[in-house]
Amino acid sequence: MKIKLLYGTETGNAEMLCEDIEAHLEGDHEVEMANLADTDPADLAADTFHLVVCSTYGDGDLPASAQPFGEALEADQPDLSAIHFAIFGLGDSSYETYNQGSEKLAALLATYGAHQVGDRVIHDAMGGDMAEDLALPWADARIAQAADLFAET
Amino acid sequence: MPKIAIVGAGPSGCYAAQALLKLDKTLEVDILDRLPVPYGLVRYGVAPDHQGTKAVARQFARLFERQGVRFIGNVTLGETVTLDALRAAYDIVVLALGLSKDRPLDLPGGDLGGVSGAGAVTRHWNDHPDEAGQLPHLGNRVVIVGQGNVAMDVLRILAKQEPDFDGSDLHPRHTDHITGAGVAQIDILGRSPAHLAKFDPVMVKELAKLEHVRFALDGLELSEGHEDDPRVAALAALPQDVPVASHEVTFRFGWTPERLSGTEGHVDAAFFRRGDEELGLSCDSVITAIGFDSHIPGLRDDLLARAEDAETGVVDKGLYLAGWFCRGPRGTIPDNRAAAQALATRIMADLGTLTGAEKPGHAALIAAHPDLTDYDGWLRIDAAELAACTDGRVRAKVADLETLLALASGRAPGSATPETEG
Repeated sequence: MKIKLLYGTETGNAEMLCEDIEAHLEGDHEVEMANLADTDPADLAADTFHLVVCSTYGDGDLPASAQPFGEALEADQPDLSAIHFAIFGLGDSSYETYNQGSEKLAALLATYGAHQVGDRVIHDAMGGDMAEDLALPWADARIAQAADLFAET
Repeated sequence: MPKIAIVGAGPSGCYAAQALLKLDKTLEVDILDRLPVPYGLVRYGVAPDHQGTKAVARQFARLFERQGVRFIGNVTLGETVTLDALRAAYDIVVLALGLSKDRPLDLPGGDLGGVSGAGAVTRHWNDHPDEAGQLPHLGNRVVIVGQGNVAMDVLRILAKQEPDFDGSDLHPRHTDHITGAGVAQIDILGRSPAHLAKFDPVMVKELAKLEHVRFALDGLELSEGHEDDPRVAALAALPQDVPVASHEVTFRFGWTPERLSGTEGHVDAAFFRRGDEELGLSCDSVITAIGFDSHIPGLRDDLLARAEDAETGVVDKGLYLAGWFCRGPRGTIPDNRAAAQALATRIMADLGTLTGAEKPGHAALIAAHPDLTDYDGWLRIDAAELAACTDGRVRAKVADLETLLALASGRAPGSATPETEG
């Protein structure tokens, strides 16, 4: 499967997690990784499954590296109806705005027609789990769920 | 291969190493710290109940565990090694020394007993060796001067009860001390109206979860017309009608501190002015949170004065400044990440123009100073702290420098090396 890992990060934690997912999937899939800051919504491809990892920052906002992407979506209003994605959120339950960044990004993508595969899985920085212990099974499960969509002909 | 030394293993130093290695993963990078433990402000400045923020240390651990960065602990710039000696040993030196000294309250009575700096208090709660012996005086009534995020951290820790520290690494001796002081009334004052205050709104929302605290607001009317401001909205949502409360927290806006009074050398009241109004608050202690300065101001001022590009942190080709030590006490941990990336780009450009003989790097340091510690030493400390952890805590930090050094060198009990276990 062609997979594009996209991360929205503020401190670098989401980027590090994406690197882990990339290492985990490499070999089995054709994987590319990019910062959402360097991603144009118009360049999302129908033949590629997008795995998005996104943190939260400030008062429940998109993290810095996802903000230009969010702004571009709202400005360009692209038709994303051929695009499939799954999303993983990073957050900190100390705060009221826990994991709202990934929630906002998923909602934005859906607003312009993109199809979310499976539920959003979230990690709590205050909890006992390592993010990769949740994120690697999440990636495997979503890829299995999306297998039919990207079945090679 | 060019050799790079980063002085200061806090977030700015670690982000600088990370950014450099992103540009060229073959670089030889050493990170030096005066303590035998890495991560600086993440370990000693981020509040002990904000473990989610401290989790950024996992990223930095990768530098040492996977990316070949060498940690050299127990080396103090200007004492163990001079800046000149360091520059002679390395091609590139980056100073990421942070700003750890509390800016003093420069007012009559500012030096009375019972007046502490928020940075020192936070380091004490974080078990920093420098502050281990300095038990901050608290008492029933505490006045906090300043309303930035550091002030909010101090307020939150004073207002919490023991169960609220579940999942933190605040040592029970600190909760015993805070509880024993009987802190019941906390006033937190700032010069600005609420909509211009420096705290992040999430910090206030976090306070609203403390069910045993009754909040009061003084001067919120100065923010008339700014009701939609997230700070004002978060403050207005704080629970004020709490029938049974163990703690009273009052936010006061628009007040400029004027003087502190004391009896027998100890503070007993703090006085503020707002236009024609004067406010006197009886108190047992004052904690100031009004900014930070360098612990070595002379060196910093001198370097900034002769810097080729003070904004990016270029003193000259080969000597650079990063983080708060470069830009002053503004900006969060991730702000320093972005700045580190800009600095790394500049360092890489300068590296391309380097000429001269191969530098000795860490070999020169280690030969001259056999007491330096390494990353394995930190792992021994880490293991001992995790093993000593009590119920409801995630770590029991060692506050004593001699014990830290003994653990790092493998001399202390509990610091068993794989050899002795085997």
